[in-house]
Amino acid sequence: MNTIAENIADFLKEYPPFDNLTFQELSAIATSIRVLNLEKNETLFQINDKLHDCFYVVASGVIHLSVIADAEETLLNKCHAGDVLGLRPFFAKNNYMMTAKAREESIIYAIPIITFRPFVANNPDVLNFLLESFATNTWNPKEKENLRGKLANDNVVYIDQKSEMQYFQSLTYNRLPLTATINDIAKDVALLMTENSSTSVVICDNQLPIGIVTHTDMCSKIATGQFPLTVTMKAIMSAPVVTVVENVSLAEAQLLMLKNNVTHLCVTSDGTDKSSVKGVISEHDLIIAQANNPGVLIKEIKRSSNGKELKHLRERLTELIQNSIHKNIPLSNINNIASEINSAILKRAVELSILDLGSPPARFAWLSTGSQGRKEQLLLTDQDSLLIFEDVAPDKYRDVRDYFLKLAKRTTATLEKVGYELCPNGHMASNMLWCKSLTDWTKQYDSWMNTPGENSNDLSSIFFDLELVFGEKKIFEAIENVILKDLDHNTLFFDFLGNDALRKNSPLTFFKKFVVEEDEPNKNKFDIKTRALMPLIDGARLFALHFNIKGLNNTYLRFKQLAIIDAKNADIYLNCAEAFLTLSKFRVNEGLKNENSGQYINLSELTKLDKEKLKNALAPMKELEELIKSNFKLTQFS
Amino acid sequence: MMLDWLKNINKEYPDFWKTYLAKFEHKSKRYVVFSTETSGLNPDKDVILSIGSFAIVNNKIHIGDSFESILLQYKYFHDNGLSNEFILESKMKKLSEPEAIEAFIDYIGNAVLIGHHVDFDVDMINSALMRLDCGRLKNEALDIDVMYRKLIDVNDKQFSLDELSEIFKLPKSYRKSPSEEAYTIALLFLKLKNRLGIK
Repeated sequence: MNTIAENIADFLKEYPPFDNLTFQELSAIATSIRVLNLEKNETLFQINDKLHDCFYVVASGVIHLSVIADAEETLLNKCHAGDVLGLRPFFAKNNYMMTAKAREESIIYAIPIITFRPFVANNPDVLNFLLESFATNTWNPKEKENLRGKLANDNVVYIDQKSEMQYFQSLTYNRLPLTATINDIAKDVALLMTENSSTSVVICDNQLPIGIVTHTDMCSKIATGQFPLTVTMKAIMSAPVVTVVENVSLAEAQLLMLKNNVTHLCVTSDGTDKSSVKGVISEHDLIIAQANNPGVLIKEIKRSSNGKELKHLRERLTELIQNSIHKNIPLSNINNIASEINSAILKRAVELSILDLGSPPARFAWLSTGSQGRKEQLLLTDQDSLLIFEDVAPDKYRDVRDYFLKLAKRTTATLEKVGYELCPNGHMASNMLWCKSLTDWTKQYDSWMNTPGENSNDLSSIFFDLELVFGEKKIFEAIENVILKDLDHNTLFFDFLGNDALRKNSPLTFFKKFVVEEDEPNKNKFDIKTRALMPLIDGARLFALHFNIKGLNNTYLRFKQLAIIDAKNADIYLNCAEAFLTLSKFRVNEGLKNENSGQYINLSELTKLDKEKLKNALAPMKELEELIKSNFKLTQFS
Repeated sequence: MMLDWLKNINKEYPDFWKTYLAKFEHKSKRYVVFSTETSGLNPDKDVILSIGSFAIVNNKIHIGDSFESILLQYKYFHDNGLSNEFILESKMKKLSEPEAIEAFIDYIGNAVLIGHHVDFDVDMINSALMRLDCGRLKNEALDIDVMYRKLIDVNDKQFSLDELSEIFKLPKSYRKSPSEEAYTIALLFLKLKNRLGIK
């Protein structure tokens, strides 16, 4: 008799899956419970932590389940009193895949898996609750709402960005499966399987699947001597067979296999066993599908030996992007993956040049600027890069610079072969102006930032979107610090950048019509890059510099971060973040359609709805403009 | 204390007490939160009616690691003309005072004791121990009211368990028996321990 155990049992019996257990059972469970107190913001477990020997029930307070990627903490779910969390140890052997953190002071019951397991095994309702909770893969917040109370809370399986693509891709599988009837004899079927080197046979009755016999069945039932060679399929088949619809995704197939503990799925025309057999998906098909993912692409890039190979790999990236956009994967995620792959290509191009030229005579850093510097390059745009090498003795300077210029020329040439055009303004490391020593670069940034306007015709704001591609991190950081130092109380520089951002041409006429190009070759097309994307990119950069946001170059993430830092204007920033994604998508679609940079949108090909959507995405620009004017007191100049 | 020890140097203690004393060779990582229900506030004249307690290990209250008992005080009930109604109705384990005290001493071992105005509870246990020819409790003891006063730096006011529960927003309903009281004290202790940075 334990008074508190009974109180806890009383509490638990209100909530699933505990409502399926008797009070005696719950009292027994409660006796093994450990109670813990979490302070606000204290972590219960986090991503990659080893699994605990228990799962948790919230007794009071609120626990947030989230994943953190880049600067974004994605909240997956909130757990309130009675909610179950941390079920992973029941099913998986790998570590936690999300972070559980107290949103406010909370009291938690920890229930040891070892005490709870027998209750799961003996109670199908409890088992089903846990299975469904774990197998449901929901990323749609609306759906999450509907599931509330029906499922445990870590059902929302977050798929990390690198592996996300592979989950949505469709599977290739055997579309000509072997079939047999229940009266066929084991020996004949085994011969059939051997001849066709197949691991399964679908047992059909009038084209409809009624069971399946796999390699495993043959081994465990025939080879063990349990049944004779002459037994019919009826005796050894597994039934019913798990059926799925055509075009099932890798993720769904995987979850179904896990959930039903099977190694084969049968594809039928309508996904039920009341329609004809179309194919069989085996575990092996899943393994093959997983091999074709971004991770593999990056591995191949690292192994490639010339520009031509890189070109083929870049084409596969385009395919990947096209497929993902088609499957409606969020653009910010596609951006992340694409920029990783782009980075790998750039890095390999530099590496290949070094392999040709021999080791560099000094340490250096190769930086991307522009769209790749912002990690938002989906299409093959032109190259933007710069090179910084460490300071060397004056008598060595010439040789060192010559080496790096040669290195840069080779690299940009390789990249041209891959499909990245050379920058028409010469903003590339192969240009003597953008390939210099750390001291020279420091002077360059000092003069740009402290005396903007004078002698700085070459100042392009893209020089503030930098990403280290290859070389010494320390050199990169040195330049970052120069920029940071020069930003301090630098009204002049912000005036300059602010006015520059405001100078872009407006996208709509006074009568709210799109402003289109007047001259060939893009007559009557809308310049989405200059008139819509650039103002947002410039605005995001301006505020990011103003608020000292380091390490985030991406326009979308910059706006997201700004909404956190400058909360009173959060709405404007968030609208801009969304608008940026929408506009980028228009550009990418146009670019993929015409195999170019997508800068000019052919409005006549847009539907009325799309035109409306495009126009709506231009609205937040006006607010951003006002914010720039008031923040940097620019009204008097513009 | 010293004299006490000299006086008792040749005294033969009950076995359970010797076992208890032997446990203090090691320092304990275990805390035992406890609360007593008594017949009054005088440790010499009043008696313990029930005890409730839980163990805390690694910042977790172990619900199964608990001790609770109703002490059958026949003489006291008889002397005061009280009915033994609640004793008959309670499902809690019933023990005579010597049995209960022996079991309790066995349960706490060398743990650090936690209570609310814990000195009084310790005094009550000590009086009962005296009646069994044992020495006084050797355990360290922490008082959650003192801890709270330390936290907010107040010296001239005492806080009742109800007030503390209110301040830390704990549900009120749990306070019918010493076990429920002990559980509340345990939760308060976890919160205070954390805030005071006690390792």
